[in-house]
Amino acid sequence: MTIENTIVHIRDISKNFGGLAALQQVNITVQRGSITAVIGPNGAGKTTLINVLSGFLLPDNGSISLNNTVITGKKGHVITRLGMARTFQTAQVFGTMSVLENVMVGRYARTRAGLAGAALRLPGVLAEERATRARALELLDLVGLTDQAPLPAASIPIGSQRLLEIARALASDPQVLLLDEPAAGLNTQETRLLGELLQTIKKQGITIVLVEHDMELVMDISDDIAVLNFGQNIARGTPAEIQTNPDVIAVYLGED
Amino acid sequence: MHLRKNIPLIMLVLTIAAVPLTVSDPYYLTMLIFIGIYAIATMGLNLLMGYAGQISLGHAAFFALGAYVPAILTTRYEIPCIAAAALAVLLAAAVAYVIGLPCLRLKGHYLAMGTLAFGEIIHIVLNAEVELTGGPSGIAGIPMLGIGSLYADTDIKYFLVVWILFVLLFVLSRNIINSRPGRALQALHGSEQAASAMGIDVAGMKLMVFVLSAAYAALAGVLYVHFVAFISPGAGDIVFSIRMVTMVVVGGMGHLWGGLLGAALLTVLPEMLSYFEDYDMLIYGGILLVMVMFLPGGLTQGFERLRAALRKKRDSA
Repeated sequence: MTIENTIVHIRDISKNFGGLAALQQVNITVQRGSITAVIGPNGAGKTTLINVLSGFLLPDNGSISLNNTVITGKKGHVITRLGMARTFQTAQVFGTMSVLENVMVGRYARTRAGLAGAALRLPGVLAEERATRARALELLDLVGLTDQAPLPAASIPIGSQRLLEIARALASDPQVLLLDEPAAGLNTQETRLLGELLQTIKKQGITIVLVEHDMELVMDISDDIAVLNFGQNIARGTPAEIQTNPDVIAVYLGED
Repeated sequence: MHLRKNIPLIMLVLTIAAVPLTVSDPYYLTMLIFIGIYAIATMGLNLLMGYAGQISLGHAAFFALGAYVPAILTTRYEIPCIAAAALAVLLAAAVAYVIGLPCLRLKGHYLAMGTLAFGEIIHIVLNAEVELTGGPSGIAGIPMLGIGSLYADTDIKYFLVVWILFVLLFVLSRNIINSRPGRALQALHGSEQAASAMGIDVAGMKLMVFVLSAAYAALAGVLYVHFVAFISPGAGDIVFSIRMVTMVVVGGMGHLWGGLLGAALLTVLPEMLSYFEDYDMLIYGGILLVMVMFLPGGLTQGFERLRAALRKKRDSA
């Protein structure tokens, strides 16, 4: 674990909601190009961690850096522009827009057309529009939603909406992709395909941080696993190490 | 495909072209001119309400700014009306920026409250600043709209000016909606959180569309004042603000044609109902109530349902 190879560095992050300590001095380093999973029982603070990482929540303490730049306190849209994109636990697609348009919105951070240019359809804007559409179609092909491209996003099944969210997040050319329970609500077959998709994304050089309950998926695809319990990290290691870690077993099986 | 999408617009352009040949009654021409003016204002308001999901309860104030600035500049300082019009629109946009900046940083309907207060302030200022605005008696004798020696000196010419501007703004607005900033607006309406995760500055985007909608309202004010040649503080009051919001809702929020349909209905309906004399407001309110109950998506929703029904009938035949 060399420092240069760390893409996301989470240092001493704490977050309290009233009296509840959702995160207590959490430290996690994410290796560039890895799939890092954050697991833990319900209420362990996993989603809070994603929200803090993506700038949706401000931590009480600690710092987060992306590529050695501190991003703590930056707003969500700025963090996306800096190269960290996210999906949501309950799919938040833009329901009235088409599947294709959803992915095109994802290109926002990497395109420039302004109000005046768009209103007057300047040649540069039209060229950018074509490139945006082409890239969005490529990404729909990657996640296997090409057939659904013209449909309103709200009309496609939940499993497809999750894939759409991944395509939309990828459209911002992220270096790090944050996934909040991507397998929730998917059947076994869909989960297997999701695992393959995440491996493909990893091969493209994109680092993945995922919060997930599906242990089979996590053990299958992760390079690195961090375990949270009541907002604290209690373990860290490869899938093999985590599976034999007595503290983790105690948390998951109950300790007496 | 492209042609098909443009059929409603082509029909509108043909209708506009046909009016000077067929309509000569000044009463109907006046009504058509007013519909066009309100349609421009509501098109802007619709971008704000229907796409960014924000309500302005003070849009009449921007309309009034758009009317008063040229009224003052052309009658007292003899500034050419095109320059006065440009200044009016720019001023309204600048004021909207200043009002919107604090309101739109906050989540919730702070813009509605902020604009409500702003509208009242403008209304009071227009009444009280007698030296500048003429107070309650307003300003009269506003010159005709024109460039150089070209004047829109007949109702037909004025009709054409208003409606050509409407079509122009319609095309520009439609281009915006089907582009990067327009998609960002629609995204924000779907989910602010997800929009922010796409790299969209939610507050900045709302501010931009608010400023844009104020500019549309101001332009409508400019067109109003040069047509009526008189302006009084009534143009900036809350009743008119709410009427504009009603036009958008009744016409169809988030649908570019909605503003026009709402403006047309709410301009024509009171005229038709005047036949009922004392009961007109009662019937007017009843019609709006029934419409909101059965067509919550506005008139555009009604048209879409009709089209879907016709297509179904055609497919089964």
